[in-house]
Amino acid sequence: MNPLLRWFHQLGSPPTFDRFAARWAPWCHAGALVLLAWGTWLALFGVPADYQQGDSFRILFIHVPAAWMSMFVFGVMALYAAIAMVWHIKLCEILAMACAPVGAAFTVVTLATGSIWGKPMWGTWWDWDPRLTTELVLLFLYLGVMGLYHAIDDRRAAARAAGLLAIVGVALLPVIRYSVVWWNSLHQGQTIRMFGESSIDPSMVAPLWIMVGATKLWFAGSLLVRARADNLRRETGKDWVRRLAEGTR
Amino acid sequence: MSYLGYVVGAYGVFAAVLAWDLVVPRLQVRRELRLARQRAARQAATPVPTELTR
Repeated sequence: MNPLLRWFHQLGSPPTFDRFAARWAPWCHAGALVLLAWGTWLALFGVPADYQQGDSFRILFIHVPAAWMSMFVFGVMALYAAIAMVWHIKLCEILAMACAPVGAAFTVVTLATGSIWGKPMWGTWWDWDPRLTTELVLLFLYLGVMGLYHAIDDRRAAARAAGLLAIVGVALLPVIRYSVVWWNSLHQGQTIRMFGESSIDPSMVAPLWIMVGATKLWFAGSLLVRARADNLRRETGKDWVRRLAEGTR
Repeated sequence: MSYLGYVVGAYGVFAAVLAWDLVVPRLQVRRELRLARQRAARQAATPVPTELTR
């Protein structure tokens, strides 16, 4: 068998995944913290103030990466849930459910920082604008997935039910993405492009991409630790967990 | 206008949420390992029956 494929199959084993997560999660978080420190420094002190918004535009450097992550994490969660549903891979169920709190955290950051930016710029903390409203619905979907997962005693049945909600909820992502195009929106349109030229000032691009990289790494670390905790909870009573707990693995 | 308060508030929320996301799952892992240790200790303390029972 191809060594990469064999490693992938082995990773599906709970003790192997535990070792993998315990080893790599701290590295992901450490890398993310370094990038966050660098990106935040540039965002706060390296970039000149905006000629219209003043310093308030610096909130963009956390708001935009968090908003992207809120949608990206939901997509990843739905993908893991679909894989778990089709091939009945337990680890994918665990990973899908571990995505939900991280995605919800990024959605809270998006809504809170957007609201804080909106007060001085729009003159209000909140507006029932299509982009804001659909993002709020996304938060409720995350909370729904988490609530459903914890409401059913049978872990596998709970993961399947919550996973189905995640898969159905993916339909919201294009609505959030194109809400500023489809409807008249107070929220600004697309100014940053992954491919092609962004319409923001070039000095703002580098710190923004650093923060985007940092949030991606952060998600990887959080996903591994949260999945590890759930994996241990499901495997409690097994020999390998006992040996690990006693430090004699 | 500096908007310093708004910028500090936004970055504060960001830092607080990330700190929560960093700490809580690690506490959950520690809790699961502690529970596994306690379970193993309970099992070790249970005397093994020396007689055959029906």
